[in-house]
Formats: sequence, structure tokens, C-alpha cells
Amino acid sequence: MRAVKILERVLVTIPIVLGVAILVFLFIRLTPGDPVDIMMGQGGAVSEGEMEQLRKEFHLDEPLPVQLWLFLKDAVRGDLGYSYVLKRPVTQLISERLPATIELALGSLVISLLIAFPIGIISAVRQNSAVDRLSMAGAFLGISMPSFWLGIILILLFSVQLKWLPVQGRIGFDAQLQNITGYFVLDSLLSGNRIAFWSSLRHLILPSLTLGAPVAAVVARVLRSSMLETLRSDYVTLARSKGASEWIVVLKHALRNALIPTVTVVGLQVGILLGGNMIVEEVFGWPGLGRMVVSAIFDRDFPLIQGTVMIYAFTFVMANLIVDVMYTYLNPKIEL
Amino acid sequence: MKRFFNTLFRVVLPAALLLAACAPTEPAQPQVVEKTVEVVRTVVVTEERLVEVEKLVTPTAAPGRQTIIVALSQAPTSLDPADHRSRQSETVIRNMFDGLVTRDTSNGVHLEIAEEMNWLDEQTLEVKLRQGVTFHNGVEMTADDVVYTFNRIIQENMIEYPDPHTSPRKGLIAPLMSVDKVDDYTVRMNFNGPWPPAMQLMVHQQIVPMGYLEEVGTQGFIENPIGTGPFKFVSAQPGLEEVVLERFDGYYGGAPDLAPVQPACVQGAIFRVIPEASTRVAALLAGEVDIIQAVPAELIDTLSQTPGIQVKTAIGTNPKWMEMNVNKPPFDDVRVRQAMNYAVDKDLIIEEIYGGRAVALPGPLSPYNNYVNKSLQPYAYDPDKALELLAEAGWTDSNGDGLLDKDGQTFSFTLDTLEEFRSLAEAVADMFRAIGIDASVRFWEYSVVREQLLAGERLAYLDDWGDSAFDPVGHFEAKWHGFQTGTPYGRGNFSTYNNPRVNELIVLGETTNDPTERQKIYDEAQQLVYDEAPAVFLILPEEAEAASTRVQNWEPAADGRINLHDVCLGP
Repeated sequence: MRAVKILERVLVTIPIVLGVAILVFLFIRLTPGDPVDIMMGQGGAVSEGEMEQLRKEFHLDEPLPVQLWLFLKDAVRGDLGYSYVLKRPVTQLISERLPATIELALGSLVISLLIAFPIGIISAVRQNSAVDRLSMAGAFLGISMPSFWLGIILILLFSVQLKWLPVQGRIGFDAQLQNITGYFVLDSLLSGNRIAFWSSLRHLILPSLTLGAPVAAVVARVLRSSMLETLRSDYVTLARSKGASEWIVVLKHALRNALIPTVTVVGLQVGILLGGNMIVEEVFGWPGLGRMVVSAIFDRDFPLIQGTVMIYAFTFVMANLIVDVMYTYLNPKIEL
Repeated sequence: MKRFFNTLFRVVLPAALLLAACAPTEPAQPQVVEKTVEVVRTVVVTEERLVEVEKLVTPTAAPGRQTIIVALSQAPTSLDPADHRSRQSETVIRNMFDGLVTRDTSNGVHLEIAEEMNWLDEQTLEVKLRQGVTFHNGVEMTADDVVYTFNRIIQENMIEYPDPHTSPRKGLIAPLMSVDKVDDYTVRMNFNGPWPPAMQLMVHQQIVPMGYLEEVGTQGFIENPIGTGPFKFVSAQPGLEEVVLERFDGYYGGAPDLAPVQPACVQGAIFRVIPEASTRVAALLAGEVDIIQAVPAELIDTLSQTPGIQVKTAIGTNPKWMEMNVNKPPFDDVRVRQAMNYAVDKDLIIEEIYGGRAVALPGPLSPYNNYVNKSLQPYAYDPDKALELLAEAGWTDSNGDGLLDKDGQTFSFTLDTLEEFRSLAEAVADMFRAIGIDASVRFWEYSVVREQLLAGERLAYLDDWGDSAFDPVGHFEAKWHGFQTGTPYGRGNFSTYNNPRVNELIVLGETTNDPTERQKIYDEAQQLVYDEAPAVFLILPEEAEAASTRVQNWEPAADGRINLHDVCLGP
């Protein structure tokens, strides 16, 4: 039953993603700026013939509805066209860079949960203590600190001063990693390359911390407030009065019930981790989707923008689906 | 986005770098210097020129990494010499591929794969190729490869992947009509008329192997490119975020004029993309990279005082102007435009914003251009003269509010620019305010403002225009010729300046080969533009690059193309 429901939900994403694609298609064409003009840049002589030929090649000489039809016709067959600037299939470009972005998002998620859970739980259990106030002040800082600033400060502290962690990139040049899946941490485990494993893990820490800090702050605050609520509820009092140990009460009874709002927030944050990574990718020279789409926007590389935004929309919808599925495990009363 | 970061980090980073600079450093170690003595003997044997080079090298094993790592600010777009339009691509490509000619770190052009080049007449260039030059796969380079290389660029739809398209580099050698093979080591290039900047622009075309390309196709070629350059391709990360090269031991040595003529000194080279300027600097400080490009002006002083780091500058190729719309009041009056030139204190800007690493523009061309009018001096900073000219044009402070006015209207305008020129634009606007002009600054995205500029809808625009060929054609054609749709003329003319005599001189200069005659043509054109002042001729900043002190024999190039052939890594 659940599998059928999940399949239904997956199928529903198709019109959503297509809708997003059409909106993006129209919006980027309404933005001023001619891709062919930008592509030619400043240098060299360009004849009108060459420009016309390029416009023809990109179908930019066709009326908008025709362009949209051509785009949709190819898109439903999985062909997202060629990047104007990079001259390669968009699907190929995305699949090359998606692993980097997902790896970073997962790294940030792990780091942010590792930070948020202890802080959220302890702050709730020791409400109004010094630990609580300090952690909540830290969380406030985490939310308000701009990530480009945090990133640079972390680089200067841990890479330039202490020399503990690398400044940028995904892996050291001497790691000699065989590319299998594109996920470097996974690939190094699969190929048993210990040097590559440590190298990719070390490269992952600072960007993940930078990207994960605001997420950790949000999750910690939500977890704390929902924990405070569950800790005051009758079933917790009952559990205590039955003589259950404090840890059992907190982790089994209070935390589990406090998880539902927390998971909702985490689900929303996953979308942000995937889509909001442009700045972190820029600061850490992380070769992911975010940087590619930013340059694509400046270049008005229409197919590349469309394709990437479609992927973002798809992952966002998927993240929410996963959250919904998790609800049913956390509280069997909830149905999909 | 990059521009946004650059500005923001101007505040945070200098302070943080100062902290880093204060860190304890290792005591200086005695350096072992590799000395190379070259003995060149030339023996002429039946018209062939044999060059024997004896090298005496004191072998010293330099400890540590012998692969040089260069941080690029942007990813190359392709490793195919015929299929890109970016400097970053060319920086990587030139280390794998050689051209007929190359450029030194300044503006000199030298023979590279070509052994001799002679103009048979005004439009035919005969090129004799060096013999014994091999591609990385061991195949010898011949006239067939040269003919194929240029045909692939100038003929339509020669690049078949991903869809058949014409090389985007065709426009750089537009006057080249055809290339014929004379014999295995001689080709003839036929142009559609005299083309004086031919040599400077030929620098930007590199020779590809015909046999290999025909065998593997463009797709196979960009996955594993092969050239005749000092380094051969090893691997690349997706999106060319990292390109790994190793020394090509069979390298013929490169341009004979540019010593040392031998295979590369380092074992390998890696190009890594680090888009954010402050991260590039941090990576250099942490020893993760050896050379970084595009060092922000405000960090040059801090970096050059940091132990273990050397900063060098090359002459710039991006002059900066503030163009004024000559068809809209108040800038339709030449006296007003001249006054604007007198109102800007370029020396102060050079000192305060560029730390002294820039020069004032003497007029419409860079002072390093091969045909600069030497009699022109930069407009002096003379606010009194500016006010005098403005008064002549009718602009005075008649109501005593501190702002100039004319017929009841205050002299007020918006200076449009891009985020990357923020500090310069604000300084310039401030100098206008100092003489009573109400100037404010507004920031745009280039692709948005460009169309409005060409349509003459904006009043004043501050920007730069890059041209590394040191020939007047580039800047004159784009900036000072009247805009003509569908031609290269005036494609960057944002002042709507259109003087028939200047246009005529520009076209004449493009087809006149005689240097003396050309100089006369361009002298007149420069004088006209200087006097009519469609722009405030601002400054030309130097290009700064930084490297660790391990990097020896390194000189940043004016055209921004890093040549790693000569560079060594010390202890």
C-alpha cells in the first residue's frame, strides 16, 4: 500500500517539474540580455552572419511558443539540449556535477545534525541553564552569520593558520582516486584507497560546516522547543512516574515525539542545502551544480539554467516525499 | 556574484591576512640555484639551419613537490584550441599546444613552430615550419597539420561535436581566406587584403594534429587532447575544474628567441579553478597552490610583505574609461566632456585605489600600444580649468547651492557601471561632486546594460575593454568607431561617438601595412578622439599575480596567458 502511495507521489512530481521548467523557460527569456551577444564578448570581429547562425543553431530565431515546444518535446525524452557556452549535453554536465553537490549537501546534513541534536536536547533538558543560553546564542549566531564570511574565517583559521584542513577543492591532487560514482568519499571506500578517503573527507569538512551551520542552528532551535513541549506532556510525566530512567524518558519518549516537527524542518533544509550552495561552492572552489548555474545565469546559457533548475525542483520535491515517508515510520497514525 | 564577493571581501580579508602574515615563519634556508649555461653554435649547411645547443646543467635534486599548481579564477571552457573564447582556456591550452608564433610576457611576438615567415605580397604570407617537431603521440608535425588547423577554424561547420558548428575563433583571424600546402614544411596563407595585426593575432591560434583528430573526432580529442607543447595532457576533472599535465620530454624547446630552449623544467603542471579571490590567496598562503592570478589590488601590498610570497605585475591590457553620451545633454557639448576630463585626479586614484600599480591613459589607447600617439599627454588634473570650460558651456552655480546649473537645471547625472568597478566609479563621481556636479553611481549586470548602451539610452558609463594584441585595431574598431549593426565596428562604443573622419582613419589603419604610414593615420585618429573627448580617459591598471618563493623564473604575462615552460620549482 505504502509502495503504491510512494509511486503515486513520484508520478505527481513530473507535472511539478515540468511546470517549473516552463516557468523558468519563460522567465529567463524575459530577462534582458542576449546569449549570443554575451558569448561573443569583447574580442574579435564578429559578423552578423555568424551571430545569425548561432541564433539559428540555438533556435533563438524561432517564436517563443515554437522554442517552448522544441524544448518540451526533447525534455520529455530526457534530452535537455546542449549548453551554449560549454558545447556539451546538459544532462552530461549535470550528472558530472550533481555528485559533488549531493556529497556536500549530505556532508552538511550530517555535520549539522551532529551539532544540532546534542545542543537541542541538552538545551531542552537543562532549560534556562548557562548551557541552554549559550547554545541558543550560538544558534542565533549560526543563523545570522553570512556563509561567505564564515567560510573565509574557517579557511583562515583551520587552513592558513593551523594548517589542519585544506583550503579548497574536493580532493588532494596526489590522491589518485579512480572515479567510479563521482562521490569521492564513496569511491575511495569502494576502491579501498585510504589516502583518497582521508583526503576527500578532510576536504569535505570546512564547506560542510559552512553550509551546515545555519541548518544546525535552525534544527537545534526547533528541536529544543518541541522537546520542551513533549517534556511537559502527560506521557512523559507517566514514564517518569513509572520509574523509567531520565535518559530513557528523554531519548525514547520525549525525543521520538519531538522528531516530527524536526524532520519537517530538516526536510525543508535539505532543499536549501542543495539549492542554496552557490556561495559555499564559490568560496571553497567546490565543483558543484551551484557554481555552474550561477555562471550559466550570467552567460544566459538557457538550456543549462533550465536543466539545473529542473534538477533542483526535482530534488526538492523528492526531499519532501522522503520526509513524508519518514513521518509514517515515526508516527504510524500518519498516512501518506 | 563574483563581483559581489570581491567587494565584500575587501573589508574582511586584508585584516585577516595581516593576522596570517604575523604568523611565525621558518628561517630562510640557503637556496641551491640551478645554473644553465647555453652554448649556441650555428652552422649553415646547404640552406638548412642547424642549431646545436649544448647545455651544462649542475644537477641539483630539488626536494619537495615538482609539479607546479596554478590557481585559475575561472574554469576553461574547452581544451580544443579551436573551440573556445576565453583566456583561461588559452592559458591551459598554450601549455599543451604551440602556435606558429608566440608572445613574450610583454608585447613582443616571436617565432615558435614557424621557422620563418615572409610576406610574399601584401596579402600572402609564406610560413616555413620548423622540422622535427612532434606531437605528444610521437607523430611529426607537418604542413598538413597547419593547413588542417586553420581550415578547421575558418571553414564553416568544421567542428562536428556536439553539433556541427563553426569555430568561435574564426572572428579572430577573419581576413584569412585560405591556407595552401606548398611542401611538407611550407604553407601559404592567403588574406583578403593587407592585415597589419596578423602576427599579434596569430599568437592566439595553436596547431592541432590532423591524423589524430580525424581518427578520434572532436569528442575524443577534447577528452584526450594532443599538441606539440611543453606539457602533455594527463587527466581533467569534470567541468575542467582541474587539469593535470605532465612534462613532454620530446619537446623541441619552444621559441628560439625565448631562452631556455629545452623541455619544461617542472615534472608536471596542475591548473585548479578557485573562483573566489580570497580563497585563492588563502590557498597560496597555505602552500596548496604555487601561482595565483588576478590578485585584488587591495591585497597586493599585504601579500608582497608576507614571507614566502612574491608578487609580480605585468602591464595591463584592460584600459578603463568613463564614456559620455555625446548625443545627449549635457555631454553633447565638447567643452563639458573636456571639463569632465580635467576634473578627475587620476594620480590620486592610481595611488589610493591601485596602490601606484596603474598608469594614466594618455588618450583613447593604452600607453603600451604599438601605435600610441606619443605627443599626447593624459588630461591634467585641473579643477579650475574644468570650471572655466563648464562656465563657457553655461554651467555656473548661479543660485549659490554649491551645484552647477544652467537655465534653472542642476548639473546632475547617473554614472552607470558594473559592480567590479565600484571603487573607481565612486571615486570619479566624488571628484565630479567636488566641482559642483551632482553625480551618483548605479550598478548593472553587463548583459542587461549593454543593449541600452548601444541604443544610446544611458548618459555615462564606466567600464573597461580588454585587448591584448597591442595593436590599435582592437580598441579603435570596438570603442571609437561609430556603431554599425552586424559588423565589429563600434560593438563596444557606448558613447555613441561617430566621427566620419575617425571612422575613415580606422578603416584605413586596418588595411595599411607600412608602419610609418599607419602611425600617421593612428596619430591623427587619436588626436581627434582626444580633443573631442567622448570619454574621460581614466587609467590602465597592472595585472598582478602572486607565487610562492619556490617558484623561479616566473614572470606574469601582459596577455594573462601563463606560460609554465620556463618556470622551475626550487627547494
